Amino acid sequence: MIEAHRLSKRFGPVQALNDVSFKVRTGTITAMLGENGAGKTTALKIALGFLSQDAGAVTVGPGRVGYVPERPAYFPWLDGYGVLGLAAPAGNGGGPGSGPRVLAAARSLRFDPALLRRRPGAYSAGDAKKFAYLQNLALEPDLLVVDEPFAALDPPSIKCVREVFLAMKEAGGTVLLSSHMLAEMERIADSFIVLRRGAVIAHAGLREWRLLRSARPAPDLETVFLRLTGE
Amino acid sequence: MPDPALVTLTWRVVKRRLAASRAAIAAALLFPGLVALIGLRDSYAAGMKFFLFFFPHAFLVAAQDMVRTDIDGGALENVLFLAGRFRGFLRAKSLVLAAALGAYSAGLFALLAVWGAADGGFKPAYAIQFGLGLLAGLYYVALAGTLSYFLKAGSNAAAILLGQAAVVVALLFSVTSRTGFLDHAIAGRFPGPGPALLFGGLVAVLPNVIVSPKVSVFGAEVLAGLALALFVQGRLARRLELRK
Repeated sequence: MIEAHRLSKRFGPVQALNDVSFKVRTGTITAMLGENGAGKTTALKIALGFLSQDAGAVTVGPGRVGYVPERPAYFPWLDGYGVLGLAAPAGNGGGPGSGPRVLAAARSLRFDPALLRRRPGAYSAGDAKKFAYLQNLALEPDLLVVDEPFAALDPPSIKCVREVFLAMKEAGGTVLLSSHMLAEMERIADSFIVLRRGAVIAHAGLREWRLLRSARPAPDLETVFLRLTGE
Repeated sequence: MPDPALVTLTWRVVKRRLAASRAAIAAALLFPGLVALIGLRDSYAAGMKFFLFFFPHAFLVAAQDMVRTDIDGGALENVLFLAGRFRGFLRAKSLVLAAALGAYSAGLFALLAVWGAADGGFKPAYAIQFGLGLLAGLYYVALAGTLSYFLKAGSNAAAILLGQAAVVVALLFSVTSRTGFLDHAIAGRFPGPGPALLFGGLVAVLPNVIVSPKVSVFGAEVLAGLALALFVQGRLARRLELRK
């Protein structure tokens, strides 16, 4: 679903990505792991077309792509219905008689539909994140890319979002997550991409991770991650 | 050619932004009121001249805050603007704003034309002047849009208005000399390339003056300025990245 080949990106003196290649297979949940500044968000943004790479190539798709940023922001003059209505006003919540897809997605995310009458800038951080999921789910993406999927969410919402990912995968969809929450990632991901200082240092499926864990006595993904990153 | 779906999306964003701005609504209602007041108190011709000179400023007022605030605010890092569509959105914004303001101005001009036809004061030359005013309005949108890549919020429009204020002050000084720059401008005849170039500088800052028939030849300069601003804007958009 995503294939990145030898991506490089520099921001002034900082080499954010250096010869990074990875693949995200269709119908899987892939976790991109790395310390702060490892290049995860840069890699995602290049794949999504928000940044241009200095070198390398990336192909995404086919299919509809969704994206939930770490800290979603919206045009300040639009309420929730207004934001949803930008994409497809008739079916996706263009007014009080919002589409069934929006209501179903809101239910699955424990998002109060009454909030749609307010501007997303006035939402709590958790509701703003859930609203970003709602906006994406209403568009029924084949690939969902999420930066810090559980940031600002409370435990019941984390459970809901996790179920959304698993349901997407079950329906044949693809999910790419960039996260620091290693325990959560180990619970749901099928494969892992580990970045360090702008380079991929590990790219493995779940079975390989388990082999890696058994080869080096490591109780969990966190321990493997810390050993890989040399911490 | 812009993607029609993107133009529709941009129109939805721009329409709601204008509808949410009390200042924009107040200005859109006050301007025709002022034109009507001048037309009734003075003469139809005076009202029409006021309209023709000042309606390009409606484009400038609407073109404030076009790019930088959207980028810095994070609203473009959204599923709607994936695969570089944010660049197309920013380009389409100029187009949509220009079309909306063009329709608003054309509506007012049509009302004034009907009034003039009933009054007997309408002249076909007004239509040419209106066309030149539209060109000045488009120039404002392109210039303010280009400045908006560097200046946040309404400071793009404020910078142009400040430039105009400086030009007006400079013109006031020129009135003190016997055959000053203002006299040449009013006559539309310049004694040499120096004053003509100076007037060209004035046109770059205050393009509204091209609606005057005596200097409408400077419309070519505004057209060239519009093309240059659009070219620069296109280059800036192509290189734009959402780094935040």
